[in-house]
Amino acid sequence: MPLERVPLRSLGPTVVRRRLAGDGLLLETGPFVTRIRSRIASVAEGLASVYRDYPVHEPGAFHDFDCELRAPRTLRRFYHPQVLFLSDRRSVFKPLAYHQAYPMLEWGMNWCIASLVQHRLVLHAAALERGGRAVLLPAPPGSGKSTLCAALAHNGWRLLTDESVLLDLDAGTVSGPVRPVSLKNVSIDVIRGFCPDARLNAPVHDTLKGTVSHMSPPQASVERAGEVAEPAWVIFPQYRQGVPARLIERSPGECLTGLIDNAFNYAALGTRAFHGLGGLSERVRSFDFVYGDLDEAMDVFQRLADGR
Amino acid sequence: MDGNRALCLALARPESMAERTDGEWSTMLAAARETSLLGALWQRAREAGLETDLPEPVALHLQGAAWVAERRAEALRWELEELGRGMLTRMAPPVLLKGAAYLLADLPNAQGRLANDIDLLFPEAEIERAESLLFFDGWAGSHHNDYDQRYYREWMHELPPLAHRQRGTTLDLHHNILPRTFRVRPDAGRLREQSVALPAPWRFRMLAPAHMVLHAMVHLFSETDWERGLRDVNDIHVLVNHFAAREGDGFWEALLVEADALEVTWLAQRALWLCGRHLGTDIPPEVVRRLAASPRARRINPVARWMFHHGSQTRAASSTPLQDGTARGLLFLRGHWLKMPPGLLVRHLFYKAFLAEKEDDTDVQPEPDKHG
Repeated sequence: MPLERVPLRSLGPTVVRRRLAGDGLLLETGPFVTRIRSRIASVAEGLASVYRDYPVHEPGAFHDFDCELRAPRTLRRFYHPQVLFLSDRRSVFKPLAYHQAYPMLEWGMNWCIASLVQHRLVLHAAALERGGRAVLLPAPPGSGKSTLCAALAHNGWRLLTDESVLLDLDAGTVSGPVRPVSLKNVSIDVIRGFCPDARLNAPVHDTLKGTVSHMSPPQASVERAGEVAEPAWVIFPQYRQGVPARLIERSPGECLTGLIDNAFNYAALGTRAFHGLGGLSERVRSFDFVYGDLDEAMDVFQRLADGR
Repeated sequence: MDGNRALCLALARPESMAERTDGEWSTMLAAARETSLLGALWQRAREAGLETDLPEPVALHLQGAAWVAERRAEALRWELEELGRGMLTRMAPPVLLKGAAYLLADLPNAQGRLANDIDLLFPEAEIERAESLLFFDGWAGSHHNDYDQRYYREWMHELPPLAHRQRGTTLDLHHNILPRTFRVRPDAGRLREQSVALPAPWRFRMLAPAHMVLHAMVHLFSETDWERGLRDVNDIHVLVNHFAAREGDGFWEALLVEADALEVTWLAQRALWLCGRHLGTDIPPEVVRRLAASPRARRINPVARWMFHHGSQTRAASSTPLQDGTARGLLFLRGHWLKMPPGLLVRHLFYKAFLAEKEDDTDVQPEPDKHG
């Protein structure tokens, strides 16, 4: 497909707003293009700041997902406004308070990948690459995955994803949508302190997860968003306050069951998914990783990358 | 071209996929996703030798959907093997309906089709025995309140759906293809008598070709929910093409005779008209003429034509959302109007609106914060 792509920042706020309100803004994040429509100001502002360096396609180009954010058409909009997320013109979530429109867009875009992608095995995991080799960090919410991922992305690792790893079941390679890292509550200040270069958008308070802020990936990660990587490590992180950083090796079998627990479409893809994840578990080294301090964690990952 | 039109064109003439622009592909994929036709599109593209010419992201989405459909078919086959080996061996083989029958008979609409439930047809006198026997294989009823029990057992053509206790698969036991309270009551004995045994080792039967097509037609045109109408239209289209090519005029003759015998000629008229409208199905003019001349025929008025056409458009891709929504609403009313006599209908809708426990909608509306 012939691509006319320009960085979002080059469009200027008026054009961004006009496209969002009209035929849609076509945003490229890694292998996917999402068509986004919304008249909500916080959505336009959030996109313009968080996705500043991302490629935008011309209207009418191909898109994988179609997203819209708007207020429900009820009387409630006059006294307690809410916002809906629609995928392919259908609302997929319960409505949220109006001021949460931007985080809702991010969650909705994650939902699209988790629910509509069938040609890749989708893992609920972060992934980063160094020297062509990828580390996968599968973990349920609350395990300190995003904080660790944000810190690594500013310490020599290229961000592939904070949320959805895409495993190519034929080639065995991984890629990611290279979307912003979702930071919650204390993690926001931790990352501001730990990575002074990190670009975070204005925090949104009182969401279901508390306060949320999205960190843009470093520009280099955005520019190399299309590059796949060979999985080399699968690490199950767990943050515990005050605990020294420690890696505990997992067998391939334990790695496999951990990956299955964190896969969105494992059952839907059946045998193909089993062999894909089984093969991956045999090719990588896998560990449980507990950490209480980001500096120590960075050293551990540095040693891993150096093969020490 | 709107995605709905592009999808219909692709189903009718797979070669047309080569002419689609990138923008058209996007809305067409959304339309196919909504109607569970992505996997079917992949099959059509392969048959037309187009799969390598498709734009890469398009091919990936279609291929992924075909993988998922393949896996579902594998799971369904396994479930049917279990069912065939279990307690049902104590009864005469039942007739397998819809998706599961398409799959086991290897009909062309089965490839890439997402089938979930298993539908079995038993003689009315034996259906409760089947239910009791299946209990020992792990199948149990899911609708426990008195109203639902009465609704199914007294008024419908099937028992309350069964679900497998471990695997959650749904199994529907039918004794007819239309509700007891519907405007017409087809002779279910006729369906069973003409049914055909599936090849061994399967211990199931399937409907004769004309009956299978009529069932697909009756199913859509008695429906209150037209959300996936286009998929049903496609099933009818593919089956009609397949049987007409295989059996020639004999198929059309049987269709006409059986439509009259089952008193569903008027539904078949509407179904064939809609297939022609959306997918350009090749229907001999003689068949259309004879259908219309039957004493069981009913003229399709322009409002009904408008309603069927718009009601089966996809939400994601159509350029007439307001008309489509109105048509869906009218089809909802029409479906109920046909399904029950007016007194019973008022009572049923009153119960559903005010007395019934609201259905749990957590599946349709997941929590957004689980994604990030």
